Amino acid sequence: MDFISSIDRQCILLLTEKTKNEALIKMTEAAARAGGVTDRERLVKDILYREQLMSTGIGLGIAVPHVRFDQIKKPLIAVGVQPAGIQGYGSIDDVPIKIIVMILVGSNQHKEHIRLLSQAVSFLKSDHVIARLVAARSADDVCAVFTESRHE
Amino acid sequence: MSEFITGIVKNISLLHLNVLLLLGLALFGGTIGGRLFQRFKIPQVVGYIVIGLAIGQTGIHLIGTDSLKAFDPFNSFALGLIGFMIGGELKLGTLKKYGKQFLAILFMEALTAAVFVGILAAVAGYFLFHNIPLAVSFGLLLGSISAATAAAGTTDVLWEYKARGPLTTTLLGIVALDDIVALVLFAITANICGVLLGRSSGGVGVELAKLGYEVGVAAVLGGLAGFGLAKLLKKFKDEDKTLTFSIGGILFVLGVSVALGVDMILASMLIGVIMTNVAPRRSQEVFSMLERMSSPIFVLFFVLVGAKLDLSQLSLPLIILAAAYLVGRTGGKILGARLGGKMSRALSSVTKYLPLCLFSQSGVAFGLAIIASQRFPNEIGNAVIIIITATTFVVQLAGPPFIKHAVIKANEAGLNVTEEDLLKTSTAGEIVDPALPSIDANMSIKRVLNVFSSHDAFCYPVVDPGKKLVGVLTIETLKETFMAQELSDLLLAHDIMETPPATCGPESTLAEAEEKMRHFRVEYIPVVDGGGAVKGVIEQRGIGKAISRKMIELQERAAALG
Repeated sequence: MDFISSIDRQCILLLTEKTKNEALIKMTEAAARAGGVTDRERLVKDILYREQLMSTGIGLGIAVPHVRFDQIKKPLIAVGVQPAGIQGYGSIDDVPIKIIVMILVGSNQHKEHIRLLSQAVSFLKSDHVIARLVAARSADDVCAVFTESRHE
Repeated sequence: MSEFITGIVKNISLLHLNVLLLLGLALFGGTIGGRLFQRFKIPQVVGYIVIGLAIGQTGIHLIGTDSLKAFDPFNSFALGLIGFMIGGELKLGTLKKYGKQFLAILFMEALTAAVFVGILAAVAGYFLFHNIPLAVSFGLLLGSISAATAAAGTTDVLWEYKARGPLTTTLLGIVALDDIVALVLFAITANICGVLLGRSSGGVGVELAKLGYEVGVAAVLGGLAGFGLAKLLKKFKDEDKTLTFSIGGILFVLGVSVALGVDMILASMLIGVIMTNVAPRRSQEVFSMLERMSSPIFVLFFVLVGAKLDLSQLSLPLIILAAAYLVGRTGGKILGARLGGKMSRALSSVTKYLPLCLFSQSGVAFGLAIIASQRFPNEIGNAVIIIITATTFVVQLAGPPFIKHAVIKANEAGLNVTEEDLLKTSTAGEIVDPALPSIDANMSIKRVLNVFSSHDAFCYPVVDPGKKLVGVLTIETLKETFMAQELSDLLLAHDIMETPPATCGPESTLAEAEEKMRHFRVEYIPVVDGGGAVKGVIEQRGIGKAISRKMIELQERAAALG
């Protein structure tokens, strides 16, 4: 189970939303469509509930929202980039969030959940990757960052 | 045509349907009666007998004499089972430990009762009939019969109240053995009566030889069967065969005993004695298996005992004799057991409470009464049967509550339980650890690890900010985060918790809790009370631990009694 191969092309978005909730809802709905989730409302609720427990902003303008959801069959990753930054995400360092990597796995995919989260976090540790993602001007630009890194 | 139909109807109603219907009625009625009496804190066996009285010879004659006769082999089987199970209680170690006490108490209680009844019945008989040989014969016969104590009515109460301890052990030993004393006494006195009433069939020597044959052959037969069965059971281990071989063996020995005219209860008792001493572990399985299936057999047996009693034939002289018998027997048993206990320096609980446990009489007393009626028809034979019947009724109703009282007072009730009993009587609330912390859903894995490392449990409840149960965290799932330690600040309990497939209340029994765990294939179950408050989590291994701790505690308490 590889992090990059789990990213769905349909779920790579260049975000224009200004608030955390709007951005997360937009990404969740895209992911729901791609993952064949019928109960979108509940998925949105689960994502937002998780944020209530503790923000998934991990600092340096990056957030990794993640949930386990029963209607997800195969792990699914959505990526959203908002170059302008989202204020008030509640990240540990309070830096506005520019990159959101959303991880959705099935209810029983404990191992996949942890592995994907771990891979995502280490992938986003590279300053080079962060800079390229933030500089992206289209969804294709974002996609290129991931596909190219694959060949590196 | 109509004759044909009448014939069929008659056949069905008299032979087939009736027996089955009666069995059903007896079992249902008996069990309901037992439950009713249990509600009033009276041992169930009393209820079985009262239902028997109601549908039998004393009551509405639903069970006729013919049907009762048809059930004779069944009664023998039930008595054989009882004998076998009592035999199983006679472990050599225990006998050695209590042997001297057994003998002293046994002879004192049996002989004192016999002497008291003998004197009282003879005196009463003289005033009633003004005939010395007749009066003495009454005294001798009733006296010897009074020595016997019913094993069935006694053990039933002991099993119902799960008794264990020195009083229970002594009582079991004594009820098993005083029947033999009664048999010996009866064989001697019946011969004296034969001389007194001018009806001697042979000398005393002949009668003694007969007795020796009855007891000796029974002992040899039962002993051999016990060894054989123990060997067989060591070879075949699966449950079906164990049960079938055991019951087959018991039936076989009972049948041979009947064919040879020897004491079948003694024979089946010896199978039990030999098995429990030769193959203790295997026979323990046999006994617990039999115990599980024996309940309907015993219910039926006691209902039939009640049905056999005909209390309508009581006349005033017989009532007086019966009263003399009761007073003498009760007084004799109490005094004799107390003296025997004192003489043999038995534990104070035995000396104090055993005298209250010896009132029951049934099988052997009935049997002896029937033999008496065959040997001395008309004159005193029938009188003996009616007296024994009436007094059996009284002591079978009054006896069990005394035994119950005694085992409770001696602190022996509830100590003889199996793990299954404990699972059914212990609740989840009792074993759940009140000190077990709940984990908040938003607790980071780092802090979760701290909780796990500072407590023994493998599984914790996870609660939301409103303290409502939302999941459980097991050590298995926690382990999966070890490979990604950099996430330990990012991951929350919420992210890795499992949703429990079932919960139970604090009042749920452990058996119910285990059943749910098995059904959902999990090793834990959260305990949540009616208001939704989380009481904790119980784990499969926790149940095992709690039960074995309780078993050891009960065993120690029983051992501490003596």
